[in-house]
Amino acid sequence: MKGRTFIKNNKFACFMVIMYGMALLMAPKIAVKSVQNSAYYLKEMLMIMPVIFVLTALLDTWVPTETISRFLGKEAKSKGTFVAFVIGSVSAGPIYAGFPFCYTLYRKGASIQNVVIMLSAWAVVKLPMLLNEAKFLGGAFMALRWGLTVIAILLYSKMMGWWVKDADIPCDEAPLSETPRVNTDACMGCGLCAKRYPSVFIMVQKKAVISKEWTVDHDLLNAAVRECPVKAIVH
Amino acid sequence: MDVFTILMGVMTIGALCFSFKKDKKKTLEALKKAFYMGRGMAVSIFSVIFAIGFILAIFPPEHLSALVSRQNSWLATVSAALFGTVTLIPAFIVFPLIGTLMRSGLSITPAVAFLTTLTMVGIATFPLEKKQFGLKFALARNGLSFVFAIAIAVLMGVILQ
Repeated sequence: MKGRTFIKNNKFACFMVIMYGMALLMAPKIAVKSVQNSAYYLKEMLMIMPVIFVLTALLDTWVPTETISRFLGKEAKSKGTFVAFVIGSVSAGPIYAGFPFCYTLYRKGASIQNVVIMLSAWAVVKLPMLLNEAKFLGGAFMALRWGLTVIAILLYSKMMGWWVKDADIPCDEAPLSETPRVNTDACMGCGLCAKRYPSVFIMVQKKAVISKEWTVDHDLLNAAVRECPVKAIVH
Repeated sequence: MDVFTILMGVMTIGALCFSFKKDKKKTLEALKKAFYMGRGMAVSIFSVIFAIGFILAIFPPEHLSALVSRQNSWLATVSAALFGTVTLIPAFIVFPLIGTLMRSGLSITPAVAFLTTLTMVGIATFPLEKKQFGLKFALARNGLSFVFAIAIAVLMGVILQ
């Protein structure tokens, strides 16, 4: 049973194991060459990955997203733009964790233009990635691409602000409520929340869910929201 | 080890020491977070790396680069951008791959188009974006990102070539 869920959760990895097995049987030369190729990337990744993760987690821990998001309102001009860039660039986690997070900020008063900046920065402008790109593709290449990307984001977020109106954005009926939710698309099943706050979260099939008998404790909940590595807990 | 790996290592160790001095508990929490992030992504990262190794064994990088360069440059750029749109791989795995391809002759414009749409435009994440922000928002953001990605690629090609 446990093996079954493992396969279900790691379809792509299992597919690659089968491909390698087949290559080994039918074309051993290709299998050897594949392993040699992979070894180069593996070596590079193992050297750089711990650094990327630690840097990302440090940024995420030290830059207090909750307090700076106050500057994101509709009237805040250049300051709001800058803050949106900062929030997007220091946030950890994949872009699909950014959607519910940025939506919450939108509900709290951030303008559409700033939401676009935040989402785009979340996807593209990451400090650890910047160094990684310079390492493999050269400093000039990196600087130019990132400079142009920032200009592009500024331009098209402005266009989106003219074009998309508040009425175009669906209103989540549930008011910003007492009840926390776990965004199952973003949750990667690390189990950190269940381990630290067993009174609120339990793990079901490699995803965190809110335990049925949880009691309202805002300090606990806010701590869990902050600590989730991929910002999957929405409150 | 190259300059950037060392630079990143030094920066991280410096940041860690500084963080540790300011708040021990918070630093340990951050380290734990980093560990869980790594563990959560490890299987998919390794599978993508082995997939890249496999693909490059069947189609050597020289052939791939030559294949792209033989095409009309507009066609190559737009296809590279489309390819980036449908792929969902973490960007940090792609940088060394693009590095390999560029050393074996891939030109700048399609490379940049691919890199930029890879992170900025997402077909795989489109349904999630639509659910949260509505169709108009998702269409506009992805559409504009795609157009701007091509513009960035063309500009970089002109400047760096």
